[in-house]
Amino acid sequence: MELLLILKNEALKLVKKTRAWLGPILIFILIMVAFPLTVELTSNNLSDAFYPVLFISILLVMMLATEDIFLEDYEDGTLELFFISEKSLSQWVFLKIFMHWLFIGVPISLLGAFFNIGANNDLASSLMLFPALLIATYIFLILFCFGNSLSLTKGSVLGTLITLPLTLPILVVLGKLNTAIIFNISYFEFLILLFGILSIIIFAFPAIISRIIKTHLE
Amino acid sequence: MENSYLIEADNLAYKINEVKLFTNFSFSLKAGEALHIQGSNGSGKSTLIRILCGITPPSKGKVSKKNGLAFSYLGHKNALKTYLSVRDNISLLGLSQHESLKPFLLSLDLSEKLDVIVANLSFGQQKKVALLRIFLTSADLILLDEPFVGLDSTSHDLLCKFLEKKLNTGAGLVYTSHIPTGISSKNIVLD
Repeated sequence: MELLLILKNEALKLVKKTRAWLGPILIFILIMVAFPLTVELTSNNLSDAFYPVLFISILLVMMLATEDIFLEDYEDGTLELFFISEKSLSQWVFLKIFMHWLFIGVPISLLGAFFNIGANNDLASSLMLFPALLIATYIFLILFCFGNSLSLTKGSVLGTLITLPLTLPILVVLGKLNTAIIFNISYFEFLILLFGILSIIIFAFPAIISRIIKTHLE
Repeated sequence: MENSYLIEADNLAYKINEVKLFTNFSFSLKAGEALHIQGSNGSGKSTLIRILCGITPPSKGKVSKKNGLAFSYLGHKNALKTYLSVRDNISLLGLSQHESLKPFLLSLDLSEKLDVIVANLSFGQQKKVALLRIFLTSADLILLDEPFVGLDSTSHDLLCKFLEKKLNTGAGLVYTSHIPTGISSKNIVLD
């Protein structure tokens, strides 16, 4: 019941604060639409460049999406109330990240798979790409939330800079997964690897983030 | 700690960057009692309230609360979402279904403002919305940091009467205020 209430409240906040989720999605669409326009029409390399552009734009958009994810609740006193209510702060962090993923990560994964059809004219590779994007967006979201919690009162840029190296291994795995899709070899190993990373950080990082937020509150 | 005490502070001290805000601060509060913390700006009143809530750890000393004590806190930050309507904020606070909500909305002159975005309300009106959380609380201890700032005389009187009533029913109250409130309280002054 408590979990549902938190989810409902976070959903209400996001629904009413459209720019928090629609902004990143629109920027993602803008990048993906603008990218082919910058490539020579005669070029045959559009599909080759598609995946790197897709992954980097997802990385950037998830970074933008988490810019003030905790700041608002910190500044208006919501976090203080949550802290003294003896409810689990890490549970709240987990559910807040989850709700952001539902509003931003899932649509971007769907759009990414959709743009893949346009770039490669291949539905099968889009179906393979979609679960990888779902997992990758969640991982990026958690990592950037971690960075933002570190620099909660110092501006989000510092936190993002600290977090960026953590995203590099994920980009490497996504690159390998991309190669597997292109050459039609088994990509499940990479998908399982991404899922393995997610299954660890999905629970560990909210606990770490909540500890960092508590320190800021004190 | 004796069972009759709701909250007890023992030898509290707090310092920021080696500058002492207050030292050797002790008090105990029984059911039905109020404590009025006074002091100049920067004397540590808000920090003391935050320490009593358990948000900020003291540099020295300890705070003991009665087992299972439920407390309600309103600080300088009012925990309102300025981009949401008053109705949505009440919903976020989990007060939508409270049986006493309507009478308080009427008393605070907020019943016509339910669909107004909080950012479009005045400071005093925002304070009234935040105070709904206190008016509808069933907590045994109420901790308030400058609760009267921004309130008109009607709302000021309503809050005083409400707090007196809560004290008569056995709740405890700790609050900071620069202005006389009329609530019979123990007074502590932080230099």
